[in-house]
Amino acid sequence: MNRKLLGLIPFLIFILLCVFLYQGLFGNPRELQTGRLGQQMPSFTLPDLMSDSKQWQESDLLGEVYLLNVWGTWCPTCVAELSYLTELREQGVRIIGLYYEQGYDPDFGDQFDINKLRAEVNAMLARTGNPYQFNILDLKRTLALDLGVSGAPETFLVDKQGKILLHHTGDINQRVWRAKFAPKLMELTQ
Amino acid sequence: MRLMIVIFLMVCGSAFATEDRYEFANAERENTFRELTHELRCPKCQNQNIADSDAVVAKDLRDKVLSLVNEGKSKDEVIDYMIDRYGYFVHYQPPVTPATIILWVLPIFIVVVGFGFIVFRQKKASSKQTWSEQDEQLLNKLIKQYQRREQ
Repeated sequence: MNRKLLGLIPFLIFILLCVFLYQGLFGNPRELQTGRLGQQMPSFTLPDLMSDSKQWQESDLLGEVYLLNVWGTWCPTCVAELSYLTELREQGVRIIGLYYEQGYDPDFGDQFDINKLRAEVNAMLARTGNPYQFNILDLKRTLALDLGVSGAPETFLVDKQGKILLHHTGDINQRVWRAKFAPKLMELTQ
Repeated sequence: MRLMIVIFLMVCGSAFATEDRYEFANAERENTFRELTHELRCPKCQNQNIADSDAVVAKDLRDKVLSLVNEGKSKDEVIDYMIDRYGYFVHYQPPVTPATIILWVLPIFIVVVGFGFIVFRQKKASSKQTWSEQDEQLLNKLIKQYQRREQ
């Protein structure tokens, strides 16, 4: 009896290994979590994308639950999610854009033309719908670095007190929204 | 000819100097920077370190490491700074936590169990062999038989 049980051990190890490797097939290595989860929004002072005079700070965002959506017109996936985000805005979700400028790199002598960018953004949002209350321009990607952003699109859910509750890398669609964001948002609004 | 060689060497020297655009106060900082950019992992181009990757985020991380090192931050401080933002993923050396302890324990466990099994089996096998008086007599008889045959 005892010997039989011992003989089963390699088989059990094999089954465990199979389960482990099988799960690996469905894991998404791109799904990264920021080290900032559960912490306060990092402090920043950044200009508004559309206005020269307006500066935003982390304290300006307090008081309401919001999504911080990292995006850029250069990023096709971001463009693809704009219309769904616009639907969410119509349902009453507050979405703030963090404009992640990729092309600009002063080390390579790039010239940055804010007016050209504004025209581009306006043209795009006119086509897809505008999900944003406003956009923060992170030209040097400093806030993006402080948030642990690795690219675009990425989205953070932040509560009234400025605490970061969720971090999603990749686009937001109905499936992701229902599975990940909606339950958390329900908790917050109840 | 000699002049040519000298000129050639000078050109080579300056070409190298322009390639390395990072400047450091001392060699120690330069060393720290080199180590860090090889140990920190690019969050975008996974399986590349930030020294190797051309992704925008890798360049941003390199620049940040450079400025932190130039501020006089130690290697561990820079690593902690990055882990605060990008999680443990960003460092190639995983920390010992309840979730990762298995990486250290499992290999030792397997070796110990394997050797234990071998020792256990050998002991069992040797204790099974019984050698009685009759066996001894039979052996002696057989030896004598063969010795006689050879003679």
